[in-house]
Amino acid sequence: MNGAAPKNRTAGMKKLFWLCLAAAAAVVLYMTVNVRFDNPKLASYALHLRSVKVIVMLLAAAAIGAASIVFQSIINNTIVTPCLLGMNALYTLVHTAVAFFLGTGSILLRSGNAAFAMDLLIMSVTATFLYGFIFKKTKYNVLYVLLIGTVLSSFFSSIQSTLVRVMDPNEYETLLVTLVASFSNVNEEIILFAALLMAAIAFVLRRDLGVLDVITLGREQAINLGVDYDRVIRRLLLGVVLYISVATALVGPISFLGLIIANLSRQLFRTYRHTRLIAGSVLIGMVLLVAGQLIVEQVYTYAIPISVFITVGGGVYFLYLLLMQRKRG
Amino acid sequence: MFTKDLTKRYDGRAVVDGVSFEIPKGKVLSLIGPNGAGKSTVMGMISRLVAGDAGLVDFDGREIRKWKSRELSRRLAILTQTNNVQMKLTVRELVSFGRFPYSGSRLTAEDEAIVDRSIAYMELEDMQEQFIDELSGGQRQRAYIAMVIAQDTEYILLDEPTNNLDIYHATNMMRIVRRLCDELGKTVVLVLHEINYAAFYSDYICAFVNGRIAKFGTVREVMTKENLSQIYSVDFEIMEIDGKPLSIYY
Amino acid sequence: MRKYRSTLLLALLLLAVSALSLFVGVIALSPSELLRGGEQAEILLISRLPRLLAILCTGAGMSVAGLIMQQLCRNKFVSPTTGATISSAQFGILLALVYMPQSTIWSRAVFSAVCAVLGTWVFVCFVQHIPFRDPVMVPLVGIMFGNVIGGITNYIAYRYEMTQALSSWLTGSFSTVLRGRYEIVWLAVPLVVLAFFFANHFNIVGMGRDFSKNLGVNYNLILFLGLTIAAMITAGIVVIVGSVSYIGLIVPNLVAMFKGDKIRGTLADTALFGALFVLICDLLGRIVIKPYELPIELIIGVVGSALFVGMLIHRLNHGQKAVRFRKYRRQTGGERL
Repeated sequence: MNGAAPKNRTAGMKKLFWLCLAAAAAVVLYMTVNVRFDNPKLASYALHLRSVKVIVMLLAAAAIGAASIVFQSIINNTIVTPCLLGMNALYTLVHTAVAFFLGTGSILLRSGNAAFAMDLLIMSVTATFLYGFIFKKTKYNVLYVLLIGTVLSSFFSSIQSTLVRVMDPNEYETLLVTLVASFSNVNEEIILFAALLMAAIAFVLRRDLGVLDVITLGREQAINLGVDYDRVIRRLLLGVVLYISVATALVGPISFLGLIIANLSRQLFRTYRHTRLIAGSVLIGMVLLVAGQLIVEQVYTYAIPISVFITVGGGVYFLYLLLMQRKRG
Repeated sequence: MFTKDLTKRYDGRAVVDGVSFEIPKGKVLSLIGPNGAGKSTVMGMISRLVAGDAGLVDFDGREIRKWKSRELSRRLAILTQTNNVQMKLTVRELVSFGRFPYSGSRLTAEDEAIVDRSIAYMELEDMQEQFIDELSGGQRQRAYIAMVIAQDTEYILLDEPTNNLDIYHATNMMRIVRRLCDELGKTVVLVLHEINYAAFYSDYICAFVNGRIAKFGTVREVMTKENLSQIYSVDFEIMEIDGKPLSIYY
Repeated sequence: MRKYRSTLLLALLLLAVSALSLFVGVIALSPSELLRGGEQAEILLISRLPRLLAILCTGAGMSVAGLIMQQLCRNKFVSPTTGATISSAQFGILLALVYMPQSTIWSRAVFSAVCAVLGTWVFVCFVQHIPFRDPVMVPLVGIMFGNVIGGITNYIAYRYEMTQALSSWLTGSFSTVLRGRYEIVWLAVPLVVLAFFFANHFNIVGMGRDFSKNLGVNYNLILFLGLTIAAMITAGIVVIVGSVSYIGLIVPNLVAMFKGDKIRGTLADTALFGALFVLICDLLGRIVIKPYELPIELIIGVVGSALFVGMLIHRLNHGQKAVRFRKYRRQTGGERL
């Protein structure tokens, strides 16, 4: 579909370029603001610390940005986010359960590697198994899969809040810290592993990602154009779940971010081409996360966690989107 | 292409019950019948959108669900009534999707030429850069037909193409169907509610009642007073206009 | 008389199980001891009876609230949980806790009711004006909406270090219900009665704006009345018991499977069955790990999830509803073309 709208295309490339620039600027700013360069030892320590954080943020943004766009296109609705899949609730439950049964001193919560491995393992196995099963049971009806997903998430959270009720308040205080999204509990090995995993998933799904444009035409048109619809949807949704699992295991529950960045990308590019939409969403996510974290660290000195900004901002934006839909209808 | 003992049950009730017929190559075939007679479901099954419970749909010597979807999409196109796209999509982009079965998302120069021709055939040149959600119902329907033409298949299946169109646009749509068959040599299968469109523009008619075939034959064979009265449980008169049998009912 | 057989049967069953539940607990009670008064009668009056009444009000109230919301929104999946009512009520409680630390339970109830009503109104207002191609989208949007409110609630709680305090309103439990501290749940009774009087109106409004206008029913007024009733019932229950999800979603659907959708005929059954359902769940919670007890939220969470998923799959595979959904979608799609 090359020559379709050449003007639109170059405009899109320009916007992508500016987004890249913005993301790079955010990263540079984050790395250098308030670093004491007169003291090389301190500076190199700070740079190391921050570079790890930056990479984590970039990875999380990539995972959430891509997963959100794909998810919205599968569902064919732009006001949903993968947080409906219940991975946040599962993450919270897993951590609460560990704290409850093994205590907050447990290696599974204190060691970054162990926690990451546990989260990722439990989430991806549960998700793949459960969603695979649900898919079969609902005969590949995506919306029903989703509805059952939300049932699962309230199921998880009802167990979690039961545990919280009977938990020792001091233990709970400690637990709470791990339940809030943060970028600092991660080390290089985890980063490498997460990045490789994401790349591998994208590689396995490359064909399915290629037909996303056609998927937006709806089930019937997609089948007419030769897409093996049910299979593609199933594989892509599993990919989305895995991406969200990686992101959540990395930084904690912030997948609500997806609502903001996916829709900003759609508004900015006004196209159905997913390569561009996904790239846009990922880049916007990077800018928002890095800039947001910069503000949280330097202006608020960590008083308010970034997930709060995401939730509140996401909430306001969600209402705005609903209003817009209403106008269009 | 033919079907044999095609059956589909919803909730234990057979909505399509042992339907067997052959689609005449290079002709226009209309499926008619009262509401709930199963014609749309049959359409769904012969286009692989709906899975049947029993029987088979044979396409070129092979069961239709055994075909590779991509391969089939180069030989058979289906257009349903539900075509609401949420994305911002121009007419030209929509028509370009018709080439997806051949080239994926990267179109060749040849594909572009075919897209151009399809747009020209449907006289959509002036609005090819417009977004389809800004078009009127008739224009949008034409854009989708253009996509199907770009898909360049031997078989074209249309599920109630005149639905929601006014008389002017509906008649235009039927003329287009006729031209698809006469000029481009396509085999067209339609689901229609309006009997006289079926009578005037198609070669064969297949009438359904209660999930079974009540009559199958040429227009002249099916369009008789007795047949229609039986199918629709309403009195009919048949008139001859332009050498074609047309029906009157009231 | 035949028409009322199921109602009668449910009422009798409820009575029997209620009587049984009075005698289940850490301290064994016996009828003969009770009659003599003393300590056992005290336990009954202070703890067992209030608990039973709270359970009955919760079950009946939440089910009726769900039924009303489903009727008014013309969507089987709307309920206080999936319609942002519960999360708004919790938000209200938190506001009361933060800004009026000395507040009584009554003023918390007022805060929570106001927020619940507002939240539900806003949600339904949106839902009514957005053309959804699939009915399942409505509860999904409702859950997102609830997530947003829940997120803001969590943030404020985090800020003021009240997360764990808040969690007692986030999970439903009847173990804290004692005489003198739970009477607000009785509010559900007059509200349910009120709903019964307006049952036919809700039915008509459920058929759509034009339909009600044709029959001379003030659409907006009845819509707001119904939603307010549902939200107030929910708020009253959330303040005392905490959030109990699923009842409002499952009970009306289960009853409708047997008795159809005419609200006048199903309202009493829905209320009774809801009360029975919660009562049985509560009994289970008290028996399983005796002498401790599991909070009702957990039991209902487990039983409810299983039931709801089963219901969905059943509907998808056998129920005519699955077929009907298709048709519905097709029609609305057609109109938009």
